Amino acid sequence: MTAPMQTTPDSTLIEQMMAGDEAALSILYDRYSAVLFGMLLRILRDRQAAEEILQDLFLQLWRGAARFDASRGSLSTWLLVIGRNRAISRLRGKMNREVTEEEDGDYANSFVSSQNVENEARRSELRGTLNAALNKLPSEQRQVLELAYFEGMSQSEIAARTASPLGTVKTRVRTGMQSLKEMLVGY
Amino acid sequence: MTDRHANPEDLQLYALGALEGDEQLTLKAHLKTCAECRRQVASALQSASLLGLAVDPVAPAASVKQALMARVHAEARPATTQKVLVPARKKRWGLRFSLGFAMATVILALATTWLWKENQRHRQEAAGLRAELDRVQAQAAREGDDLRAVAEVVSAPDTVTVTLQQQAGGPPGQAHVLYNARKGLVIYSGQIPPTPDGKSYQLWLVPTQGAPVSAGLVEPNQQNGTVLVHLPQGLAAKAFAVTVEPRGGRPQPTGPMVLVGALSS
Repeated sequence: MTAPMQTTPDSTLIEQMMAGDEAALSILYDRYSAVLFGMLLRILRDRQAAEEILQDLFLQLWRGAARFDASRGSLSTWLLVIGRNRAISRLRGKMNREVTEEEDGDYANSFVSSQNVENEARRSELRGTLNAALNKLPSEQRQVLELAYFEGMSQSEIAARTASPLGTVKTRVRTGMQSLKEMLVGY
Repeated sequence: MTDRHANPEDLQLYALGALEGDEQLTLKAHLKTCAECRRQVASALQSASLLGLAVDPVAPAASVKQALMARVHAEARPATTQKVLVPARKKRWGLRFSLGFAMATVILALATTWLWKENQRHRQEAAGLRAELDRVQAQAAREGDDLRAVAEVVSAPDTVTVTLQQQAGGPPGQAHVLYNARKGLVIYSGQIPPTPDGKSYQLWLVPTQGAPVSAGLVEPNQQNGTVLVHLPQGLAAKAFAVTVEPRGGRPQPTGPMVLVGALSS
């Protein structure tokens, strides 16, 4: 009974949400909540705060479904970008990051993506490939990416934490991101 | 940077949230005018989001979904605005807004709609259209909720009234907003000339802290149909504004403000 529903494309579910179909939101929640909650917990290390952000994120999706162009951006990317920014705002108390949240969400929604993680098996496969790719990165490159993404550190904070010149931090970010992208060609 | 593309390193740092200070401000300004760099930063954001996708998933407690669906069900529909139909009537330009008039017209409209729905319900019962009946009942229940919400906002002592005035050089117009922050409810009524082709008017709550919050799209002549808007509860507002946006609205204001009204402190 649930198998056919799980393969319904995100774009179709978003259209159904626009028509007021609460079941469509329920399916999208079941599809992405565990991925998002894992990411939010890794950033916040606070179950209650992560739950609050998760709930608000899907509420925002419900209210703003009409504004999300599913024919362009990937919904998973949009949810990850907005959710991550919101978690970092909570973690670091940067309320003005809200502006960036919305702008980043717009940018994420404007990128025509080939990435399809609507299917659990596909997500699991990608996760395995991603972790293998991350493990292949030199540790100093992986460290700067993780300090920025999961701890919300700025480039100068990363430079101070790693006792590295700012230019080195920038280079490690660039090469780390580039390597990740190259290792994930096809996804 | 305004006449050449951004440094790829800066785009990647921005996507990771690690760009700061003047570099971040300069890049954000550049992104507003450079489609190619917006495309690059979108690609970088997608790459950065892979880091989040790599984390092992963790199932949230079932109560989170239950609470979410309860909130969604209470809102009844995804759109941020709910247009409350009021029978068309001629209004003179500049007619002063009246709280009593607003409440009376909204209640009358809702009552009329309610009765119509009830009539529909009975006819459909006779026809045995069970599915349609369920839909109409749900709609009627939502409108009953709207009626209660409007009455509560109008009568609540902590509801504030804001008059939105036209801006110098902009089109003529005026609007009025009733706002109850505790309940997260906005009632809007206003009159502005029609928008240019491909554009929409969008209402914004400008909070005391943070970015403007969309209160949905409004029609040029909204005095023939007051709008009830649900927003997150507890938002402290310092002003309301109406801007001209691309059709369908935007998550953040991008166009000129045509009406603005500040809350008196």
